[in-house]
Amino acid sequence: MEPILTVSHLQKYYGSRGSVTRAIDDLSLSVRAGEFVGIMGASGSGKTTLLNCVATIDRPTAGTITIGGQVVTALRPAALSRFRREKLGFIFQDCNLLDTLTAFENIALPLSIQNRPAGEIGEKVRRCARLLEIEDCMEKYPYQMSGGQCQRTAAARAIVTDPALVLADEPTGALDSKAARLLLDRFEALNRDRSATILMVTHDAFTASYCHRILFIKDGRAFTELVRGEDSRKAFFTRIIEVVTLLGGDSGDVL
Amino acid sequence: MFCKLAVRNVRRSMRDYTLYFLTLMFGVCVFYVFNSLESQWVMEALAVNNRNVSYTGAILRLVNVISVFVAVVLACLILYANHFMLRRRKKELGTYLLLGMTQGKVSRILFLETLCIGLLALAVGLVMGFFAAQLLSAFTASLFQVVVEEFTFVFSWKGVGKTVLYFAVIFLLVMLFNAVTISRKKLLDLLQARRHNQRLRLRSVTASAVMLAVGVALLIAAYTMLLRRGLLRVDELFWLMLAMGAAGTLLFFRSLSGFLLKLCKSNQSLYYRGLNCFILRQFNSAINTNYLSMTVVCLLLLLAIGVTACSVGVNYTVENKSDRQTPVDMTVFVEADGLTAGDLADLLQEAGFDPETCLEEYTAVRRPVLRLEGEDREVWGTMFIHIMSLSDFNSLRVLRGEGPMTLASDRYGLAVGTEPEENMDPQKDGWAEGKPLRIGDETYQADPEFCYTKALYTSSSSIDTTFILPDQVMEALRPEDVVILDFFLAGNYPKGAEEEMETLLWACYPDFCDGLAQRVGGFSMNFSTKQVEYLDTMGTKLLVLFIGLYLGVIFMVTSAAVLALQQLSQAADNLPRYQVLSRLGVEERMRDRSVYTQIFLAFFLPLSLAVVHSVVGITAANEVIVQLGKLDTVSSTVTTAVIILLVYGAYFAATCAGARRMVRGQ
Repeated sequence: MEPILTVSHLQKYYGSRGSVTRAIDDLSLSVRAGEFVGIMGASGSGKTTLLNCVATIDRPTAGTITIGGQVVTALRPAALSRFRREKLGFIFQDCNLLDTLTAFENIALPLSIQNRPAGEIGEKVRRCARLLEIEDCMEKYPYQMSGGQCQRTAAARAIVTDPALVLADEPTGALDSKAARLLLDRFEALNRDRSATILMVTHDAFTASYCHRILFIKDGRAFTELVRGEDSRKAFFTRIIEVVTLLGGDSGDVL
Repeated sequence: MFCKLAVRNVRRSMRDYTLYFLTLMFGVCVFYVFNSLESQWVMEALAVNNRNVSYTGAILRLVNVISVFVAVVLACLILYANHFMLRRRKKELGTYLLLGMTQGKVSRILFLETLCIGLLALAVGLVMGFFAAQLLSAFTASLFQVVVEEFTFVFSWKGVGKTVLYFAVIFLLVMLFNAVTISRKKLLDLLQARRHNQRLRLRSVTASAVMLAVGVALLIAAYTMLLRRGLLRVDELFWLMLAMGAAGTLLFFRSLSGFLLKLCKSNQSLYYRGLNCFILRQFNSAINTNYLSMTVVCLLLLLAIGVTACSVGVNYTVENKSDRQTPVDMTVFVEADGLTAGDLADLLQEAGFDPETCLEEYTAVRRPVLRLEGEDREVWGTMFIHIMSLSDFNSLRVLRGEGPMTLASDRYGLAVGTEPEENMDPQKDGWAEGKPLRIGDETYQADPEFCYTKALYTSSSSIDTTFILPDQVMEALRPEDVVILDFFLAGNYPKGAEEEMETLLWACYPDFCDGLAQRVGGFSMNFSTKQVEYLDTMGTKLLVLFIGLYLGVIFMVTSAAVLALQQLSQAADNLPRYQVLSRLGVEERMRDRSVYTQIFLAFFLPLSLAVVHSVVGITAANEVIVQLGKLDTVSSTVTTAVIILLVYGAYFAATCAGARRMVRGQ
């Protein structure tokens, strides 16, 4: 199957002559359509930098990123905006909903930026809301909703445009375990029912255990890769823990 | 250590609040300019020049009073701006406290900062004011056609002292305010300030619709009252009207955004196009916290527009009036019994001013005042009328360089004066309707062709409407018919000797009074000359213009600065929202447009309501100004519009640029 995301020999250096920080050092990976891929690593391993580069928010020092057949590292800023709004969906740790808009309007925003007709917008928003089970808080403002509802609203916003790739940065980072479980269930549903391709950065082994495949990064380089295959989630979780221990991330990152 | 921290903080906030600093400097500058007027050379030159009128004194006294008011307005602006800056720095101040600084030390840092800002603004403002004052002097000189013999730079220590004193008090207030704010805040609140000020208050749409309706109703009621009652009746109802206007404005702004939101939401395809939904929601959430300041800004703008428009209007009016009332170089007026017109010239000559040699041409005329009695009273109503013979009238016309007019022997004509209309109208109407006039045993019919509308002589007060009658009437006039007898000696100075003769005329004033007192018992008299009238008019003009500009500019700048500060601080608050938009793939151009739209709404909603207010207000003010003469509405409107566009537009553009820089910053 044709990969939807290809990252090849990616490098991202910070700083100037004398003190160069190699956030990402020759990293390659590829994600096929419909996959649910996790990226794990200790703090400072470069996982967020990788995600920012893929998200076209940051520009890599070297290497290429290809999303849906388009080499995004060669695009100009205006074209990048257009690319982001048509091909990518984002979910952040602190949900990043606009607090002045209701949940419905937050989900509708990416569509209205694309100037879709109003009828289509309403219909699509409701379908996504049903899928993420947030239909009852459509007219609420973010501060009236729980953290889990906010995060699911953000997820709905990310997929409402049917993007080629959904990027999630620590989506469960600010949630309690129950809300996190609910959100991850919905991620699974999205992946299964809408065949959404999801690339998720996390340092939480439980969250990662929902993925099909996990890429471990250490010091800006690929460390190892785990594929869930036919394992139960529990067995996969145990394997993840083993790798995390091997990675030697500080103990706070394990669980 | 503290000094270093304070100076660094000032330097940083300088960049964020350029507009605030500019406004502060501008405030100091304007304050200095008007408070140093007294010592400006042009004022001194004018004060020396004047003869019997002291108009520069009136200007200076009024400037003193108004400066107190202006200082209060500026103090409010500075406190408000300071409150904004402090709110944005809560987290930073919380960090100081967290690191173990005492509240006293934090207050000391803020004190030093305010001191730095204040000294800087004062210094730059005074330098700007020094140059602006020279410009104003030059401008005034050109208004008065004063020849600039030597252009001297004047540095007014009194103006500096006053400016420093007023601003020192303002900045002391700011320091006090800061200290109190810091001591009353809890550390946790300071650190979490960002999370707290994002709270949204929701209001139901029905409530906002009702509020809007009540607001508009209040405004309409206030407008109607103003137009019906006029501007100058200050009683309980007047204050009620002001209160209704202010309350109406408040309700209007409080409910408008909710109503607009509802309106746009009902049109789905408009609401969900581009960033429309975001912009409207932003506006709505901002106005929920901003409606109070928007109301204040709207009312300040109303004052600014009103004051500027009226002062410019009065200016044109006064100028027209002065041209109209000074047809000849000088006029001596005497009201006394037992004189003849010829005596006036003799009296002047005895006093040291010989009309034969000192005047190029002159004439002395008689103007008796009759009381209407008998049939006339039934026809005309109760009134006194001024009459003059045709030949006297024609001799006055000759002085203006006009040819004689003719009148049939059984007719009367009319020379319209410049009295208030309620005195003049019955006479004009009577003449227009052709009412007959009986004097002695003869009856005269109105001559429909004979109506002279120019001034007959030069006068500092209004000119009475006079009936012009054939010469034989004057001869037949019995002394008992005449209630009062007025005399005028009007003349023009020889060319090139105006200044010398003017001085000579005023020098003979006391002797003329004495001579007159010896000849007759009771009398009243005055001298009116073109030069004095001109200076007097210019004095009024300058007074109105200065006060209008002073207040107008201060109000305008204050309101624009409040809006600019508010918008810039909101742009900074909105930064995370724009980051989200950027990640969602909203192009820079679209984000900029959203910023501009919000600033535009914030600037032009108060302005447009203020314009509506002031159109009504100026219409009412016109009624007052009309008593001075006709207000030149077109030119005053254009001038006001230009001033508003310049000042307000500049602030708008600067705010847009600043906000764009902030939003693009990351």
